[in-house]
Amino acid sequence: MEPPKIWRERREKYLALGILCQECKRKSFPITLYCPHCSSENISELKLAQTGKILHFTRVTQTAEELMLYAPYIIGLVELDDGIKVTGQITDTKLEDLTEGMKVRMVFRILSKNGEEGLIGYGFKFVLI
Amino acid sequence: MSKLGIVSYGSYIPKYRISIEEIAKVWDDDPNEIISQLQVFSKSVPGPDEDVATMSVEAARNTISRWKGNPQDVGAIYVGSESHPYAVKPTATIVAAAIDAEKELTAADLEFACKAGTAGMQMCFGLVKSEMIKFGLAIGSDDSQAKPRDPLEYTAGAGSAAFLIGKERVVAELEGTYSITTDTPDFWRREGAVFPSHGNRFTGQPAYFQHTVDASKGLMEKLGTKPSDYNHVTFHQPNTKFPLTVAKMLGFTTDQIDISLICKNIGNAYSASSMLGLAHILNNSNPGDRIFMTSYGSGAGSDAFSFSITDEIEELKSYPLTVEHYLNNKEQINYGKYSRYKGILR
Repeated sequence: MEPPKIWRERREKYLALGILCQECKRKSFPITLYCPHCSSENISELKLAQTGKILHFTRVTQTAEELMLYAPYIIGLVELDDGIKVTGQITDTKLEDLTEGMKVRMVFRILSKNGEEGLIGYGFKFVLI
Repeated sequence: MSKLGIVSYGSYIPKYRISIEEIAKVWDDDPNEIISQLQVFSKSVPGPDEDVATMSVEAARNTISRWKGNPQDVGAIYVGSESHPYAVKPTATIVAAAIDAEKELTAADLEFACKAGTAGMQMCFGLVKSEMIKFGLAIGSDDSQAKPRDPLEYTAGAGSAAFLIGKERVVAELEGTYSITTDTPDFWRREGAVFPSHGNRFTGQPAYFQHTVDASKGLMEKLGTKPSDYNHVTFHQPNTKFPLTVAKMLGFTTDQIDISLICKNIGNAYSASSMLGLAHILNNSNPGDRIFMTSYGSGAGSDAFSFSITDEIEELKSYPLTVEHYLNNKEQINYGKYSRYKGILR
């Protein structure tokens, strides 16, 4: 991952920030320059709920080269307690230990490493509560 | 005059554990002999997506959440470690962004073997006392390194502990701190070397014991206190035998040190070792208790601290992600998976 991308996305990925539209009052993730629901530019940063439940999940075995170190890994669609749905890795667990509806919380983990000398990408993942 | 001390605390220990038996099996060692010598049964291992930055952030977030204050009020972040993920690019900057403390603050990564975290605590105490900052966050964090088959491999664990230092709603008032520093080459890692080296038995008497005893005695003399004045004590825990021995040498009882001894389950968390002991003690302490801590860092030095617990502690003890929570949240792994997670197998 290139330096500008890591720098630009750090609040979104580190702090799990989305947006709250001041016009239609709807929340969304990730951060965009305008509301994806009503196209208003009158938006503000919103800290997402740190806990939620697993809606769907699957195991990824074939992935990008910078992620192979972590493969196979589990990726899930999580409905946060504030109603926003986000996708993220569910870490520190095995496929056979998961069922839909399980409660999870956000943790801070390595997302990718750019080889032995490049930058390390960090961000949120989920662990079972 | 307002009190100066610890305002909040947080910890993190990764989920994975490898037992002494599992490591001994690989090298045809006698596990019972090793357990009897070290009094350690297993050690913590970070997952493949964890490093000192992620563990520091978890401990820092637990500190901030337990405190319920505004992270923008944190004026300094120091991360002590000997396994920072970058040689150049401070872990403290990642922590600052991940707890939303950017950008009006000072920050740095510290290195003094296993006592870099307590050196950070002293720096925060100084900055807060001189009113240069309102709150300072000191973190000790390590993904401890050890060469395969080295005796260190049995104990080199991982974890992180953080302390927020300030003058408002203090839970542990600082009564005094005192340090010892000498040029003692007991343990080192050269620039670019993957694993540390050590002086075997030389790491004991002239290094760990001399510095820990000198710093502890020095602080008690300065304050006019004695071991029996304290309810709990924590020392650096390279294994369980060393802190038990140094406690006895100084005149502390097994009851006083018992709560702090997390090494038997997670091994030596290097920079986080004595600090995790302190975090565990704080969560098991009561108003009026007095706590003594002496860290040890190879190279070598020791920082001693004396704390008095205030009524404010009661409010922080109910926070769920405690040292005990992380000690109980565990999964045993075999040596193959350990090798992969530690990056020995690629």
